[in-house]
Amino acid sequence: MKTDEKLRNDRMVFYTADVQRFDGELDGFLELSGARSALLIDKEGHLVTRRGETVQTSLESISALIAGSFAATREMARLLGESHFSTLFHQGQRDSIQVSLVGEMALFATVFDGRTNLGLVRYYATETAQRLEGILGDMKARGGAPGGASDQLSSDFGQSASAALDKLF
Amino acid sequence: MVQINFAQKQVNAKIVYYGPGMSGKTTNLEVVHQRAPTANRGDLTSISTDGDRTLFFDFMPLDLGTVAGMRTCFQIYTVPGQVYYNSTRKLVLQGVDGVVFVADSSASMVQENLESLKNLEQNLNEYGKSLATLPHIIQFNKRDLPDAMTVDELNQLLNSHGAPCFEAIANTGQGVFPTLKALAARVLETIHTGARPGTTGPQTAAALPAPLPAAAPAPAPAPVTAGSGTGYGQRPLHQTGYTQVAPGQAPASIPMHTRAPAPAPMPQPQQQQQQQQQQQQQQQAIPMQRPQQHGQPIDPNTRTSVHAPLGSAPVGMPMQPVQQQQIVRGHPMPAPMPMAGPSVGAPPNLQMRPAAPMPTSIPQAPRAQAPAPRGPAPARSPVPRPAQPRAAAPRITTTMPPKKKSFTTVMLVVAALVAGAVMAVAVLS
Repeated sequence: MKTDEKLRNDRMVFYTADVQRFDGELDGFLELSGARSALLIDKEGHLVTRRGETVQTSLESISALIAGSFAATREMARLLGESHFSTLFHQGQRDSIQVSLVGEMALFATVFDGRTNLGLVRYYATETAQRLEGILGDMKARGGAPGGASDQLSSDFGQSASAALDKLF
Repeated sequence: MVQINFAQKQVNAKIVYYGPGMSGKTTNLEVVHQRAPTANRGDLTSISTDGDRTLFFDFMPLDLGTVAGMRTCFQIYTVPGQVYYNSTRKLVLQGVDGVVFVADSSASMVQENLESLKNLEQNLNEYGKSLATLPHIIQFNKRDLPDAMTVDELNQLLNSHGAPCFEAIANTGQGVFPTLKALAARVLETIHTGARPGTTGPQTAAALPAPLPAAAPAPAPAPVTAGSGTGYGQRPLHQTGYTQVAPGQAPASIPMHTRAPAPAPMPQPQQQQQQQQQQQQQQQAIPMQRPQQHGQPIDPNTRTSVHAPLGSAPVGMPMQPVQQQQIVRGHPMPAPMPMAGPSVGAPPNLQMRPAAPMPTSIPQAPRAQAPAPRGPAPARSPVPRPAQPRAAAPRITTTMPPKKKSFTTVMLVVAALVAGAVMAVAVLS
Protein backbone atom coordinates (compact mmCIF):
# COMPACT_ATOMS: atom_id res chain seq x y z
CA MET A 1 0.00 0.00 0.00
CA LYS A 2 1.34 3.40 -0.86
CA THR A 3 2.18 5.73 1.96
CA ASP A 4 -0.44 8.28 0.98
CA GLU A 5 -3.15 5.70 0.78
CA LYS A 6 -2.10 4.21 4.09
CA LEU A 7 -2.25 7.57 5.79
CA ARG A 8 -5.62 8.27 4.27
CA ASN A 9 -6.96 4.99 5.55
CA ASP A 10 -5.25 5.26 8.90
CA ARG A 11 -8.27 6.80 10.50
CA MET A 12 -11.56 5.84 12.04
CA VAL A 13 -14.66 7.19 10.37
CA PHE A 14 -18.00 6.89 12.09
CA TYR A 15 -20.98 7.70 9.93
CA THR A 16 -24.23 8.99 11.32
CA ALA A 17 -26.17 5.81 10.63
CA ASP A 18 -23.57 3.73 12.45
CA VAL A 19 -23.52 5.99 15.47
CA GLN A 20 -27.30 5.82 15.58
CA ARG A 21 -27.03 2.08 15.85
CA PHE A 22 -24.51 2.47 18.66
CA ASP A 23 -26.84 4.88 20.41
CA GLY A 24 -29.72 2.40 20.17
CA GLU A 25 -27.66 -0.28 21.83
CA LEU A 26 -26.42 2.05 24.55
CA ASP A 27 -29.95 3.27 25.26
CA GLY A 28 -31.11 -0.30 25.60
CA PHE A 29 -28.26 -1.10 27.92
CA LEU A 30 -29.03 1.87 30.15
CA GLU A 31 -32.68 0.95 30.33
CA LEU A 32 -32.02 -2.63 31.31
CA SER A 33 -29.04 -2.18 33.59
CA GLY A 34 -30.04 0.98 35.40
CA ALA A 35 -26.60 2.50 34.85
CA ARG A 36 -26.18 6.26 34.74
CA SER A 37 -24.15 6.77 31.64
CA ALA A 38 -22.63 4.77 28.81
CA LEU A 39 -19.70 5.79 26.65
CA LEU A 40 -18.20 4.25 23.56
CA ILE A 41 -14.54 5.20 23.23
CA ASP A 42 -12.00 4.22 20.65
CA LYS A 43 -8.70 2.76 21.77
CA GLU A 44 -6.93 6.07 21.29
CA GLY A 45 -9.19 7.69 23.86
CA HIS A 46 -11.48 9.59 21.51
CA LEU A 47 -15.13 9.55 22.45
CA VAL A 48 -17.38 8.02 19.80
CA THR A 49 -20.74 8.51 21.43
CA ARG A 50 -22.27 8.91 24.86
CA ARG A 51 -25.74 8.24 26.21
CA GLY A 52 -27.41 8.70 29.56
CA GLU A 53 -26.84 11.28 32.22
CA THR A 54 -24.21 13.92 31.82
CA VAL A 55 -20.98 13.06 33.55
CA GLN A 56 -19.81 15.96 35.65
CA THR A 57 -16.38 16.15 34.14
CA SER A 58 -14.61 16.65 30.87
CA LEU A 59 -15.62 13.83 28.57
CA GLU A 60 -12.39 14.17 26.63
CA SER A 61 -10.34 13.77 29.79
CA ILE A 62 -12.25 10.83 31.12
CA SER A 63 -12.17 9.11 27.73
CA ALA A 64 -8.42 9.58 27.50
CA LEU A 65 -7.91 8.30 31.02
CA ILE A 66 -10.11 5.27 30.47
CA ALA A 67 -8.22 4.41 27.30
CA GLY A 68 -4.89 4.92 29.04
CA SER A 69 -5.96 2.85 31.99
CA PHE A 70 -7.13 0.06 29.75
CA ALA A 71 -3.94 0.17 27.73
CA ALA A 72 -1.92 -0.15 30.92
CA THR A 73 -4.08 -3.07 32.01
CA ARG A 74 -3.50 -4.74 28.69
CA GLU A 75 0.21 -4.41 29.20
CA MET A 76 -0.14 -5.98 32.63
CA ALA A 77 -2.07 -8.84 31.07
CA ARG A 78 0.67 -9.34 28.54
CA LEU A 79 3.26 -9.54 31.28
CA LEU A 80 1.17 -12.22 32.96
CA GLY A 81 0.87 -14.18 29.74
CA GLU A 82 -2.69 -13.13 28.95
CA SER A 83 -3.63 -11.53 25.66
CA HIS A 84 -5.78 -8.98 27.43
CA PHE A 85 -8.14 -8.42 30.31
CA SER A 86 -11.56 -8.00 28.79
CA THR A 87 -13.07 -5.95 31.58
CA LEU A 88 -11.90 -3.32 33.99
CA PHE A 89 -13.76 -2.19 37.07
CA HIS A 90 -13.18 0.79 39.31
CA GLN A 91 -15.33 0.98 42.40
CA GLY A 92 -15.96 4.27 44.13
CA GLN A 93 -18.01 5.23 47.14
CA ARG A 94 -20.74 6.74 45.01
CA ASP A 95 -20.01 6.02 41.36
CA SER A 96 -18.25 3.11 39.76
CA ILE A 97 -16.93 2.53 36.27
CA GLN A 98 -17.00 -0.70 34.36
CA VAL A 99 -15.03 -0.87 31.12
CA SER A 100 -15.43 -3.65 28.58
CA LEU A 101 -13.35 -4.32 25.52
CA VAL A 102 -15.29 -4.09 22.25
CA GLY A 103 -13.44 -6.00 19.59
CA GLU A 104 -9.96 -4.71 19.00
CA MET A 105 -10.57 -1.05 18.52
CA ALA A 106 -13.08 0.27 21.01
CA LEU A 107 -14.00 0.36 24.67
CA PHE A 108 -17.41 0.43 26.23
CA ALA A 109 -17.44 2.30 29.54
CA THR A 110 -20.40 2.62 31.84
CA VAL A 111 -20.82 4.74 34.94
CA PHE A 112 -23.27 3.52 37.55
CA ASP A 113 -24.16 4.18 41.16
CA GLY A 114 -26.04 2.50 43.98
CA ARG A 115 -29.30 2.37 42.07
CA THR A 116 -28.12 -0.79 40.39
CA ASN A 117 -25.49 -3.38 41.13
CA LEU A 118 -22.36 -4.66 39.59
CA GLY A 119 -23.75 -8.06 38.60
CA LEU A 120 -26.55 -6.55 36.60
CA VAL A 121 -24.31 -3.99 34.93
CA ARG A 122 -21.67 -6.54 34.12
CA TYR A 123 -24.19 -8.97 32.68
CA TYR A 124 -25.74 -6.48 30.30
CA ALA A 125 -22.42 -4.81 29.55
CA THR A 126 -21.09 -8.12 28.28
CA GLU A 127 -24.08 -8.55 26.01
CA THR A 128 -23.92 -4.97 24.81
CA ALA A 129 -20.19 -5.19 24.09
CA GLN A 130 -20.87 -8.17 21.86
CA ARG A 131 -23.55 -6.30 19.99
CA LEU A 132 -21.37 -3.22 19.61
CA GLU A 133 -18.64 -5.43 18.29
CA GLY A 134 -21.13 -6.77 15.78
CA ILE A 135 -21.87 -3.26 14.54
CA LEU A 136 -18.17 -2.54 14.20
CA GLY A 137 -17.85 -5.76 12.27
CA ASP A 138 -20.64 -4.65 9.95
CA MET A 139 -18.87 -1.35 9.40
CA LYS A 140 -15.66 -3.07 8.54
CA ALA A 141 -17.33 -5.57 6.26
CA ARG A 142 -19.16 -2.81 4.47
CA GLY A 143 -15.91 -0.97 3.88
CA GLY A 144 -17.36 2.50 3.29
CA ALA A 145 -20.21 4.82 3.94
CA PRO A 146 -23.60 3.24 4.46
CA GLY A 147 -25.96 3.40 1.52
CA GLY A 148 -27.34 6.83 0.90
CA ALA A 149 -25.06 8.50 3.39
CA SER A 150 -23.80 11.89 2.34
CA ASP A 151 -21.33 12.31 5.15
CA GLN A 152 -18.03 13.67 3.95
CA LEU A 153 -15.54 16.31 4.85
CA SER A 154 -16.15 19.64 3.26
CA SER A 155 -13.92 20.55 0.37
CA ASP A 156 -12.81 23.70 2.14
CA PHE A 157 -11.72 21.89 5.28
CA GLY A 158 -8.07 22.64 4.58
CA GLN A 159 -8.58 26.37 4.16
CA SER A 160 -10.87 26.57 7.15
CA ALA A 161 -8.38 24.66 9.27
CA SER A 162 -5.61 27.04 8.31
CA ALA A 163 -7.75 30.03 9.22
CA ALA A 164 -8.74 28.47 12.52
CA LEU A 165 -5.11 27.82 13.39
CA ASP A 166 -4.18 31.41 12.63
CA LYS A 167 -7.03 32.58 14.79
CA LEU A 168 -6.17 30.35 17.72
CA PHE A 169 -2.41 30.91 17.74
CA MET B 1 -5.35 7.66 14.57
CA VAL B 2 -7.59 10.42 13.37
CA GLN B 3 -11.21 9.94 14.25
CA ILE B 4 -13.82 11.52 12.02
CA ASN B 5 -17.24 11.35 13.61
CA PHE B 6 -19.99 12.60 11.34
CA ALA B 7 -22.67 12.00 13.95
CA GLN B 8 -20.95 14.23 16.49
CA LYS B 9 -19.66 16.52 13.72
CA GLN B 10 -16.22 16.15 15.19
CA VAL B 11 -12.66 15.46 14.08
CA ASN B 12 -10.16 14.26 16.69
CA ALA B 13 -6.43 13.92 16.32
CA LYS B 14 -3.75 12.87 18.75
CA ILE B 15 -0.53 14.80 19.28
CA VAL B 16 2.27 13.58 21.53
CA TYR B 17 5.19 15.50 22.99
CA TYR B 18 8.17 13.17 23.12
CA GLY B 19 11.71 13.61 24.29
CA PRO B 20 14.23 12.80 27.01
CA GLY B 21 13.48 13.34 30.67
CA MET B 22 13.42 16.94 31.89
CA SER B 23 13.58 18.33 28.37
CA GLY B 24 10.44 20.42 28.87
CA LYS B 25 7.55 18.41 27.45
CA THR B 26 5.21 19.01 30.35
CA THR B 27 6.28 22.64 30.49
CA ASN B 28 5.23 23.00 26.85
CA LEU B 29 1.82 21.62 27.67
CA GLU B 30 1.45 23.80 30.74
CA VAL B 31 2.20 26.89 28.69
CA VAL B 32 -0.36 25.89 26.09
CA HIS B 33 -2.88 25.35 28.86
CA GLN B 34 -2.12 28.67 30.50
CA ARG B 35 -2.19 30.78 27.38
CA ALA B 36 -4.79 29.16 25.17
CA PRO B 37 -8.21 30.81 25.21
CA THR B 38 -10.43 29.38 27.90
CA ALA B 39 -13.06 28.39 25.40
CA ASN B 40 -10.60 26.30 23.45
CA ARG B 41 -8.77 24.43 26.14
CA GLY B 42 -9.87 21.54 28.28
CA ASP B 43 -8.62 20.43 31.64
CA LEU B 44 -4.95 19.61 31.99
CA THR B 45 -4.73 16.15 33.46
CA SER B 46 -1.38 15.08 34.76
CA ILE B 47 -0.44 11.65 36.05
CA SER B 48 2.83 12.40 37.73
CA THR B 49 4.91 11.48 40.73
CA ASP B 50 5.22 13.56 43.86
CA GLY B 51 8.28 15.12 42.36
CA ASP B 52 6.30 16.37 39.37
CA ARG B 53 7.89 13.85 37.06
CA THR B 54 5.42 12.51 34.54
CA LEU B 55 4.49 8.97 35.51
CA PHE B 56 2.09 8.00 32.74
CA PHE B 57 1.13 11.02 30.69
CA ASP B 58 -0.12 14.58 30.78
CA PHE B 59 -3.20 15.23 28.74
CA MET B 60 -5.05 18.25 27.50
CA PRO B 61 -7.72 18.58 24.83
CA LEU B 62 -7.39 21.63 22.63
CA ASP B 63 -10.43 22.67 20.65
CA LEU B 64 -9.60 24.36 17.39
CA GLY B 65 -13.20 25.36 16.91
CA THR B 66 -15.55 24.54 14.11
CA VAL B 67 -13.72 23.89 10.89
CA ALA B 68 -15.91 23.49 7.83
CA GLY B 69 -18.78 22.37 9.98
CA MET B 70 -16.71 19.92 12.01
CA ARG B 71 -15.56 20.59 15.55
CA THR B 72 -11.85 19.88 15.38
CA CYS B 73 -10.02 18.82 18.52
CA PHE B 74 -6.46 17.89 19.30
CA GLN B 75 -5.80 15.52 22.17
CA ILE B 76 -2.37 16.55 23.35
CA TYR B 77 -0.28 14.14 25.39
CA THR B 78 3.17 14.12 26.86
CA VAL B 79 5.11 10.99 27.74
CA PRO B 80 7.39 10.23 30.67
CA GLY B 81 10.90 10.85 29.48
CA GLN B 82 12.82 8.57 31.79
CA VAL B 83 14.20 5.44 30.19
CA TYR B 84 12.55 3.38 32.92
CA TYR B 85 9.05 4.21 31.66
CA ASN B 86 9.34 2.95 28.13
CA SER B 87 6.33 0.67 28.38
CA THR B 88 4.03 3.54 29.34
CA ARG B 89 5.66 5.75 26.75
CA LYS B 90 4.85 3.21 24.12
CA LEU B 91 1.24 3.02 25.26
CA VAL B 92 0.81 6.76 24.86
CA LEU B 93 2.13 6.57 21.32
CA GLN B 94 -0.66 4.24 20.29
CA GLY B 95 -2.68 5.89 17.55
CA VAL B 96 -0.55 9.02 17.44
CA ASP B 97 -1.13 11.42 14.54
CA GLY B 98 1.72 13.81 15.12
CA VAL B 99 4.79 14.12 17.34
CA VAL B 100 6.70 17.05 18.77
CA PHE B 101 10.17 15.91 19.72
CA VAL B 102 11.39 18.21 22.49
CA ALA B 103 15.16 18.13 22.53
CA ASP B 104 17.32 19.57 25.26
CA SER B 105 19.79 21.97 23.69
CA SER B 106 22.40 21.42 26.37
CA ALA B 107 25.61 19.89 25.12
CA SER B 108 25.59 17.51 28.04
CA MET B 109 22.25 16.05 26.88
CA VAL B 110 23.30 14.98 23.42
CA GLN B 111 23.31 11.31 24.26
CA GLU B 112 19.93 11.47 25.96
CA ASN B 113 18.46 13.24 22.94
CA LEU B 114 19.80 10.64 20.57
CA GLU B 115 18.62 7.75 22.70
CA SER B 116 15.17 9.22 23.05
CA LEU B 117 14.89 9.81 19.32
CA LYS B 118 15.97 6.27 18.63
CA ASN B 119 13.48 5.03 21.19
CA LEU B 120 10.74 7.06 19.50
CA GLU B 121 11.48 5.47 16.16
CA GLN B 122 11.52 1.99 17.70
CA ASN B 123 8.23 2.49 19.46
CA LEU B 124 6.62 3.92 16.35
CA ASN B 125 7.84 0.95 14.37
CA GLU B 126 6.00 -1.33 16.75
CA TYR B 127 2.80 0.39 15.70
CA GLY B 128 3.70 0.16 12.04
CA LYS B 129 4.66 3.81 11.83
CA SER B 130 7.84 5.70 11.21
CA LEU B 131 9.16 9.20 11.56
CA ALA B 132 9.71 9.12 7.82
CA THR B 133 5.97 9.29 7.26
CA LEU B 134 4.52 10.59 10.52
CA PRO B 135 4.04 14.36 10.80
CA HIS B 136 6.54 15.56 13.35
CA ILE B 137 8.29 18.69 14.53
CA ILE B 138 11.54 19.05 16.41
CA GLN B 139 11.79 21.66 19.11
CA PHE B 140 15.20 22.68 20.42
CA ASN B 141 14.30 23.71 23.93
CA LYS B 142 16.31 25.47 26.61
CA ARG B 143 17.99 27.78 24.18
CA ASP B 144 18.89 30.04 27.08
CA LEU B 145 21.34 27.55 28.57
CA PRO B 146 24.95 28.69 28.46
CA ASP B 147 26.12 25.39 27.04
CA ALA B 148 23.42 25.15 24.41
CA MET B 149 24.58 23.65 21.15
CA THR B 150 24.05 25.56 17.96
CA VAL B 151 20.93 24.91 15.95
CA ASP B 152 22.94 23.59 13.05
CA GLU B 153 24.65 21.05 15.27
CA LEU B 154 21.37 19.92 16.76
CA ASN B 155 19.74 19.81 13.38
CA GLN B 156 22.48 17.65 12.03
CA LEU B 157 22.28 15.29 14.97
CA LEU B 158 18.56 14.98 15.44
CA ASN B 159 16.77 15.92 12.27
CA SER B 160 17.56 13.20 9.83
CA HIS B 161 14.09 13.40 8.25
CA GLY B 162 14.19 17.10 7.56
CA ALA B 163 11.30 18.00 9.78
CA PRO B 164 10.60 21.62 10.65
CA CYS B 165 12.41 22.65 13.80
CA PHE B 166 11.88 25.45 16.26
CA GLU B 167 13.93 27.08 18.96
CA ALA B 168 12.17 27.45 22.28
CA ILE B 169 12.52 28.45 25.89
CA ALA B 170 9.46 26.67 27.15
CA ASN B 171 9.46 28.01 30.69
CA THR B 172 9.05 31.52 29.30
CA GLY B 173 6.62 30.37 26.63
CA GLN B 174 8.91 31.32 23.79
CA GLY B 175 8.53 29.04 20.79
CA VAL B 176 5.80 26.91 22.33
CA PHE B 177 2.90 28.01 20.19
CA PRO B 178 4.77 28.16 16.89
CA THR B 179 5.80 24.55 17.47
CA LEU B 180 2.28 23.41 18.18
CA LYS B 181 0.82 25.40 15.33
CA ALA B 182 3.27 23.91 12.86
CA LEU B 183 2.45 20.38 13.93
CA ALA B 184 -1.28 21.02 13.99
CA ALA B 185 -1.08 22.31 10.45
CA ARG B 186 0.72 19.22 9.26
CA VAL B 187 -1.70 16.89 11.02
CA LEU B 188 -4.68 18.69 9.57
CA GLU B 189 -3.04 18.49 6.20
CA THR B 190 -2.91 14.72 6.45
CA ILE B 191 -6.53 14.62 7.57
CA HIS B 192 -7.63 16.58 4.58
CA THR B 193 -5.48 15.22 1.83
CA GLY B 194 -4.10 12.07 3.30
CA ALA B 195 -0.81 13.11 1.77
CA ARG B 196 2.50 12.90 3.47
CA PRO B 197 3.66 16.32 4.53
CA GLY B 198 6.61 17.48 2.55
CA THR B 199 9.92 16.74 4.14
CA THR B 200 12.33 17.95 1.54
CA GLY B 201 15.47 18.29 3.53
CA PRO B 202 16.34 19.98 6.76
CA GLN B 203 14.71 23.28 7.39
CA THR B 204 16.09 26.08 9.40
CA ALA B 205 15.03 26.45 12.96
CA ALA B 206 12.01 28.59 13.67
CA ALA B 207 11.01 28.42 10.05
CA LEU B 208 7.29 28.39 9.84
CA PRO B 209 5.94 25.59 7.76
CA ALA B 210 4.46 26.20 4.41
CA PRO B 211 0.85 27.26 4.53
CA LEU B 212 -1.77 24.66 4.11
CA PRO B 213 -2.40 23.80 0.50
CA ALA B 214 -5.23 25.45 -1.27
CA ALA B 215 -8.51 23.70 -1.17
CA ALA B 216 -8.26 20.57 -3.17
CA PRO B 217 -11.09 18.31 -4.10
CA ALA B 218 -11.91 16.53 -0.91
CA PRO B 219 -11.57 12.83 -1.12
CA ALA B 220 -14.54 10.82 -0.18
CA PRO B 221 -14.47 9.90 3.47
CA ALA B 222 -12.37 6.90 3.92
CA PRO B 223 -14.13 3.72 4.76
CA VAL B 224 -13.92 2.39 8.22
CA THR B 225 -10.57 0.85 7.92
CA ALA B 226 -9.39 1.52 11.39
CA GLY B 227 -9.54 -2.11 12.21
CA SER B 228 -7.85 -3.28 9.11
CA GLY B 229 -5.34 -5.85 9.99
CA THR B 230 -6.29 -5.81 13.59
CA GLY B 231 -9.75 -7.15 13.22
CA TYR B 232 -13.08 -5.95 14.32
CA GLY B 233 -15.36 -8.68 15.41
CA GLN B 234 -15.86 -10.94 12.49
CA ARG B 235 -19.09 -12.51 13.60
CA PRO B 236 -22.31 -11.31 12.06
CA LEU B 237 -24.65 -9.64 14.43
CA HIS B 238 -26.91 -12.63 14.75
CA GLN B 239 -24.01 -14.69 15.96
CA THR B 240 -22.93 -12.47 18.75
CA GLY B 241 -24.24 -14.84 21.32
CA TYR B 242 -27.04 -12.64 22.45
CA THR B 243 -29.56 -15.27 21.40
CA GLN B 244 -28.61 -17.15 24.49
CA VAL B 245 -30.08 -14.57 26.74
CA ALA B 246 -33.59 -15.82 26.94
CA PRO B 247 -35.61 -18.45 25.19
CA GLY B 248 -38.24 -17.22 22.80
CA GLN B 249 -36.79 -13.80 22.50
CA ALA B 250 -36.81 -11.53 19.51
CA PRO B 251 -34.06 -11.71 16.93
CA ALA B 252 -30.81 -10.34 18.09
CA SER B 253 -30.74 -7.50 15.61
CA ILE B 254 -33.49 -5.76 17.51
CA PRO B 255 -32.06 -3.39 20.07
CA MET B 256 -32.15 -4.75 23.55
CA HIS B 257 -34.59 -2.35 25.06
CA THR B 258 -37.27 -3.20 22.50
CA ARG B 259 -37.36 -6.80 23.59
CA ALA B 260 -38.65 -8.34 26.70
CA PRO B 261 -35.91 -8.07 29.24
CA ALA B 262 -33.94 -11.17 29.66
CA PRO B 263 -34.12 -12.92 32.97
CA ALA B 264 -31.62 -10.94 34.83
CA PRO B 265 -29.31 -12.65 37.22
CA MET B 266 -30.64 -12.66 40.70
CA PRO B 267 -29.51 -9.40 42.19
CA GLN B 268 -27.47 -10.21 45.18
CA PRO B 269 -27.16 -8.00 48.18
CA GLN B 270 -24.45 -5.50 47.77
CA GLN B 271 -22.67 -6.62 50.89
CA GLN B 272 -22.50 -10.19 49.74
CA GLN B 273 -21.01 -9.11 46.46
CA GLN B 274 -18.49 -6.99 48.17
CA GLN B 275 -17.59 -9.88 50.42
CA GLN B 276 -17.11 -12.09 47.41
CA GLN B 277 -15.01 -9.46 45.76
CA GLN B 278 -12.89 -9.13 48.83
CA GLN B 279 -12.38 -12.85 48.91
CA GLN B 280 -11.45 -12.82 45.25
CA GLN B 281 -9.09 -9.97 45.84
CA GLN B 282 -7.52 -11.88 48.69
CA GLN B 283 -7.12 -14.88 46.46
CA GLN B 284 -5.53 -12.75 43.79
CA ALA B 285 -3.40 -10.84 46.19
CA ILE B 286 -1.97 -13.72 48.11
CA PRO B 287 0.09 -15.22 45.34
CA MET B 288 1.68 -11.86 44.81
CA GLN B 289 2.92 -11.76 48.39
CA ARG B 290 6.40 -12.76 49.11
CA PRO B 291 6.75 -15.92 51.12
CA GLN B 292 6.91 -15.15 54.77
CA GLN B 293 10.37 -15.42 56.16
CA HIS B 294 11.14 -16.23 59.71
CA GLY B 295 11.51 -13.17 61.78
CA GLN B 296 9.59 -10.96 59.38
CA PRO B 297 6.43 -9.34 60.58
CA ILE B 298 3.33 -10.89 59.16
CA ASP B 299 -0.18 -9.70 59.36
CA PRO B 300 -2.40 -11.17 62.03
CA ASN B 301 -4.49 -13.26 59.65
CA THR B 302 -1.49 -14.89 58.14
CA ARG B 303 0.03 -15.39 61.52
CA THR B 304 -3.06 -17.20 62.70
CA SER B 305 -3.09 -19.40 59.67
CA VAL B 306 0.58 -20.19 59.89
CA HIS B 307 0.42 -21.59 63.39
CA ALA B 308 -2.93 -23.27 63.09
CA PRO B 309 -3.15 -26.86 61.98
CA LEU B 310 -4.18 -27.28 58.42
CA GLY B 311 -7.69 -28.33 59.09
CA SER B 312 -8.43 -25.96 61.88
CA ALA B 313 -9.50 -22.88 59.93
CA PRO B 314 -12.50 -21.33 61.56
CA VAL B 315 -15.83 -21.62 59.85
CA GLY B 316 -16.32 -18.84 57.37
CA MET B 317 -12.64 -18.51 56.71
CA PRO B 318 -12.00 -21.06 54.02
CA MET B 319 -8.49 -22.26 54.00
CA GLN B 320 -7.14 -21.58 50.56
CA PRO B 321 -4.69 -23.80 48.82
CA VAL B 322 -2.22 -21.00 48.50
CA GLN B 323 -2.37 -20.37 52.19
CA GLN B 324 -1.82 -24.03 52.87
CA GLN B 325 1.21 -23.88 50.73
CA GLN B 326 2.45 -20.93 52.65
CA ILE B 327 1.84 -22.71 55.90
CA VAL B 328 4.00 -25.55 54.80
CA ARG B 329 6.73 -23.27 53.67
CA GLY B 330 6.50 -21.05 56.63
CA HIS B 331 6.39 -23.66 59.36
CA PRO B 332 9.23 -22.97 61.72
CA MET B 333 10.02 -26.58 62.60
CA PRO B 334 9.44 -29.83 60.83
CA ALA B 335 6.78 -31.95 62.38
CA PRO B 336 8.22 -34.40 64.89
CA MET B 337 8.71 -37.77 63.33
CA PRO B 338 8.73 -41.14 65.00
CA MET B 339 11.96 -42.03 63.29
CA ALA B 340 14.70 -41.54 65.76
CA GLY B 341 18.31 -40.93 65.16
CA PRO B 342 21.04 -42.13 67.45
CA SER B 343 21.27 -38.86 69.18
CA VAL B 344 17.65 -37.74 69.06
CA GLY B 345 15.14 -39.69 71.02
CA ALA B 346 17.01 -42.97 70.83
CA PRO B 347 15.91 -45.51 73.37
CA PRO B 348 18.41 -46.20 76.15
CA ASN B 349 18.79 -49.83 75.18
CA LEU B 350 19.98 -48.83 71.74
CA GLN B 351 22.56 -46.59 73.27
CA MET B 352 23.82 -49.49 75.34
CA ARG B 353 24.22 -51.87 72.50
CA PRO B 354 27.45 -51.77 70.54
CA ALA B 355 27.40 -49.94 67.29
CA ALA B 356 29.34 -52.52 65.40
CA PRO B 357 26.70 -55.27 65.28
CA MET B 358 24.56 -53.21 62.92
CA PRO B 359 26.06 -53.89 59.54
CA THR B 360 25.67 -51.31 56.85
CA SER B 361 24.20 -53.85 54.51
CA ILE B 362 21.15 -54.42 56.56
CA PRO B 363 19.22 -51.30 56.19
CA GLN B 364 18.32 -51.02 52.55
CA ALA B 365 15.99 -53.94 52.06
CA PRO B 366 14.53 -54.14 55.53
CA ARG B 367 13.97 -50.42 55.57
CA ALA B 368 11.92 -50.59 52.44
CA GLN B 369 9.81 -53.34 53.90
CA ALA B 370 9.66 -52.01 57.36
CA PRO B 371 6.31 -50.46 58.15
CA ALA B 372 7.84 -47.24 59.25
CA PRO B 373 5.12 -45.42 61.08
CA ARG B 374 5.32 -42.00 59.48
CA GLY B 375 3.42 -39.05 60.64
CA PRO B 376 2.39 -36.17 58.45
CA ALA B 377 4.61 -35.32 55.54
CA PRO B 378 7.70 -33.56 56.68
CA ALA B 379 7.62 -29.88 56.24
CA ARG B 380 9.67 -28.72 53.36
CA SER B 381 11.96 -25.96 54.25
CA PRO B 382 11.99 -23.02 51.86
CA VAL B 383 15.76 -23.11 52.09
CA PRO B 384 17.12 -26.04 50.15
CA ARG B 385 18.86 -28.39 52.38
CA PRO B 386 22.44 -29.23 51.63
CA ALA B 387 22.95 -32.65 50.16
CA GLN B 388 23.87 -35.31 52.66
CA PRO B 389 27.46 -36.35 52.34
CA ARG B 390 28.02 -39.94 51.44
CA ALA B 391 30.04 -40.51 54.58
CA ALA B 392 26.88 -40.07 56.55
CA ALA B 393 25.13 -42.94 54.78
CA PRO B 394 25.64 -45.43 57.56
CA ARG B 395 23.47 -43.33 59.74
CA ILE B 396 20.58 -44.54 57.70
CA THR B 397 20.69 -47.71 59.74
CA THR B 398 19.31 -45.87 62.65
CA THR B 399 16.06 -45.54 60.87
CA MET B 400 15.26 -49.14 61.86
CA PRO B 401 12.39 -49.40 64.30
CA PRO B 402 13.41 -49.94 67.94
CA LYS B 403 11.54 -53.22 68.22
CA LYS B 404 13.42 -54.64 65.29
CA LYS B 405 16.72 -53.61 66.82
CA SER B 406 15.87 -55.21 70.12
CA PHE B 407 14.89 -58.39 68.42
CA THR B 408 18.13 -58.49 66.50
CA THR B 409 20.12 -57.89 69.63
CA VAL B 410 18.35 -60.70 71.45
CA MET B 411 18.93 -63.03 68.55
CA LEU B 412 22.60 -62.20 68.52
CA VAL B 413 22.90 -62.82 72.23
CA VAL B 414 21.05 -66.10 71.91
CA ALA B 415 23.27 -67.11 69.01
CA ALA B 416 26.34 -66.22 71.02
CA LEU B 417 25.09 -68.24 73.99
CA VAL B 418 24.26 -71.20 71.78
CA ALA B 419 27.64 -70.99 70.13
CA GLY B 420 29.33 -70.76 73.51
CA ALA B 421 27.35 -73.72 74.76
CA VAL B 422 28.22 -75.75 71.70
CA MET B 423 31.86 -74.86 72.09
CA ALA B 424 31.75 -75.72 75.80
CA VAL B 425 30.16 -79.07 75.03
CA ALA B 426 32.76 -79.72 72.39
CA VAL B 427 35.58 -78.82 74.79
CA LEU B 428 34.13 -80.91 77.56
CA SER B 429 33.62 -83.83 75.28
